[in-house]
Amino acid sequence: MLFFQSEEHIQAWCSTWKMDRGAILSVEQGWRLAQAWYGPDRRETSWRRRTVEEAKALFAELGLTTPFWNLR
Amino acid sequence: MENGMEEFDRNVRGFVYDFAMQRGYPPKLAVTAVKFSVSVDEARDSFQRLADARILVLQRDSGEILMANPFSAVPTAFVVELDTYTCFANCIWDALGISAMVNKDSIIKTSCADCGKAIELRIVKNTVLGDPGLIHFAIPAKHWWEDIVFT
Repeated sequence: MLFFQSEEHIQAWCSTWKMDRGAILSVEQGWRLAQAWYGPDRRETSWRRRTVEEAKALFAELGLTTPFWNLR
Repeated sequence: MENGMEEFDRNVRGFVYDFAMQRGYPPKLAVTAVKFSVSVDEARDSFQRLADARILVLQRDSGEILMANPFSAVPTAFVVELDTYTCFANCIWDALGISAMVNKDSIIKTSCADCGKAIELRIVKNTVLGDPGLIHFAIPAKHWWEDIVFT
């Protein structure tokens, strides 16, 4: 996941590397995703990876509901 | 996996994250072995099981940790400055994730992946400030772990 100064620069990067345009998030969306994803304390014994369904629900809470975010 | 092994791996995972959150980088095999009074091979096996469970990402040949997400064991283009240390994240999501994980303000230094222009973001009291920009996820979520280093 890379950072770009604008959508035009994302398009230029995709053209250069022959990559399809993926999903674009604002910095604020990325911050909310980071907080949700990395908030639970991984030092805790009870911590475990999210199931696919839990991750899907988390993405949905953040409005990430396009097929790009499907985990299977 | 046997229960004793599961407990050992849970403890190793807790140690890896405690170490990384305090220092900004994950521990080496030798440090982990000493911590748990086990051989380096036993520590390597535990790292491998945690990698198989997609909790860690290992360096291919050495078995050392490459990523204890969001932390990177090696220098990257995503520098995160906290009050106590400066460290490297695996991507922009992880750069934001370090601040979220340690619950501290930070300064993120990276660059536009297209043109190289320097970019600085600041997390201040749960708000992102700094240069304008966008995050691009190139790989669809279901393919992330096919090559997590590329992702």
